Amino acid sequence: MIALRGITKRFRDAGEELVVLDRVDLDARPGELVAVVGPSGSGKSTLLYIAGGLDADFEGEAIVAGRSLATLGPRERAAFRNSAVGFVFQSFNLLPALTALDNVMLPGLFAPAGSGRESLADLRARARAALERVDLGGKADRRPARLSGGERQRVAIARALLARPSVLLADEPTGNLDTASGAGVIGLFQEMARGGMTVLVVTHEERVSGVASRVLHLEGGRIR
Amino acid sequence: MRPSGLLHLAGLNLRAGWKSAALNAGAACLGAAALVFFVALGLGVGEAARRMFPGETRLVDVVPPAVSLGPVLGGGQLDDEAVARLAAIPGVERAFRRLNCRVPIAATRGPEGVSLNWPQGFTVQLPAVGIDPGLVAQDLGRGQWFEDRGPSQPIPFLASRRVIEIYNKTIAPAWNLRRLPPGVALVGVQFPVKVGFSIVPQKTEDRVVDGRLLLAGLSDRVPLYMVALPLETVRRLHQEYGKADQGYSAVSLLAALPDDVPRVAAAVRRMGFAVDEGDRAMAERVGTVVSLTAGALALLALLMCGLAALAIAQSLSASVRARTKEIAILQAVGATAGDVRALVLAEAGLLGLAGGAAGALLSRLAALGADALAARLLPDFPFRPESFFAFSPWLYLVAIGVAVASAVLGALGPAAIAAGVDPARTIS
Repeated sequence: MIALRGITKRFRDAGEELVVLDRVDLDARPGELVAVVGPSGSGKSTLLYIAGGLDADFEGEAIVAGRSLATLGPRERAAFRNSAVGFVFQSFNLLPALTALDNVMLPGLFAPAGSGRESLADLRARARAALERVDLGGKADRRPARLSGGERQRVAIARALLARPSVLLADEPTGNLDTASGAGVIGLFQEMARGGMTVLVVTHEERVSGVASRVLHLEGGRIR
Repeated sequence: MRPSGLLHLAGLNLRAGWKSAALNAGAACLGAAALVFFVALGLGVGEAARRMFPGETRLVDVVPPAVSLGPVLGGGQLDDEAVARLAAIPGVERAFRRLNCRVPIAATRGPEGVSLNWPQGFTVQLPAVGIDPGLVAQDLGRGQWFEDRGPSQPIPFLASRRVIEIYNKTIAPAWNLRRLPPGVALVGVQFPVKVGFSIVPQKTEDRVVDGRLLLAGLSDRVPLYMVALPLETVRRLHQEYGKADQGYSAVSLLAALPDDVPRVAAAVRRMGFAVDEGDRAMAERVGTVVSLTAGALALLALLMCGLAALAIAQSLSASVRARTKEIAILQAVGATAGDVRALVLAEAGLLGLAGGAAGALLSRLAALGADALAARLLPDFPFRPESFFAFSPWLYLVAIGVAVASAVLGALGPAAIAAGVDPARTIS
């Protein structure tokens, strides 16, 4: 579940203050696929980073996966990013030196102490299963450079799903994909939402917003 | 972050940037290699010097003063009363008397049972000193004895442990004599000698008798170019040849602890006697020179490790700057600032470990090369060691530890930079 109340985000640039998000309210329930659309620079990605605990410098109240983000310290925020939410980015953001399998294993490697850490072998098996879930079981040992754009995004989705988060945050996930690959990714998001996950997608693409449970328009820093 | 995951990820990152990693490891390798090489060289040369000048840390050799106003004002003859006073100095465990033998003894033939190629007419004068048996008791060969058993019996003697080496490396080649076997093999050998005979005709006694010297052992407590006889034997010879009692030539005081030696030496001087610092001072001087040289070279090597740390710092800084997005991705999937810091430090630690291990190996190879070169170029002088280097497991551990520490120290700055990456700004 995502509940954002009065979220305001200001940037300071050369002494000037810029309000990127202005008292934004947003709700997304489990099982919903919510799309946030809007022009470039409207603050879509910033909203996503706040909801995902990547950006802690905001005003307002953000409750995501049952946690009030404003009250979390740096370590707790890292643990939140590790297990409560999964991120999918437009440019995939895979580590180029690592194989697909190693990329998917990453969240497991950073699992905080006391969260029931599993052995490396178990983690590897779970990462392999996550890759199989996105139909990439046969390409686990390939590095990102040897995967297509669609395959890379599916690796990123497998990575986001490894920790079984209750919230998935996607920033222009189909922006770099062809029609077929984009459709595959959208299908995966729909499947996750049907499974009870809260999916928040920032996009400017009709093909994504067209399948969303709700579409929110962000413009000038406000939901309209 | 789990340690196995940390190492796994650090290893993957190093493999990805293997060229820069190899350069960094090379820097750590050179520093570690120089450290091990120079410290091993210092230890090796130190060991050789100690074999050459085996100064004893607990012994104080007391000799009569060069100028004395007699026992009333202190000093004078080293008689039994003086020996008792010396033995009573606080910190002295035992006192051993030494008495130079004033009856000449010469060997005109080689030792029995040892083929030496002894030249016709070749005579060796054997300067002798009588000593308290307790001084060399621990150096006697198995089943050997060191006491005076009368004129008809062989006279037991001890020689300096170093004299065989010097004989084999200098006298034997110069006189075309056969080399002696190792010292232990010679113990028990008898030397036919002429007691009362001197190679200086005026010094030869009226009575020259044939005798035998029996090598009872080898000791570092015997002066280099003398043989040590039992004190009672020398007294008997002096009596037989009418030599007047002139007191003891020296008294060796055994201090309870090496730290007591300066206090004992000071007390001896206050009593009016002199302290013979010849061998010990030489050993100390050589030891100091070796320690200083090795220390300076080790410092130089440490400086190289410092430079390696700087090189690693610079390289890792560049690497961290190039990888800020990757670091932000790690933070997005749950890495804390501490995890990121630990990852950079682990990468540096692995580099240091690999560099240190390679450096230890490199130093061993360099030492083998240096020894081979020395064997080819240096003459075969006495006490020349087979190797000028002394390697020990702790030295390798220290080298690896220093390499790891210098790499990790160099990585502290880059690790702090990495930990300060703002994921939201970097990813967007």
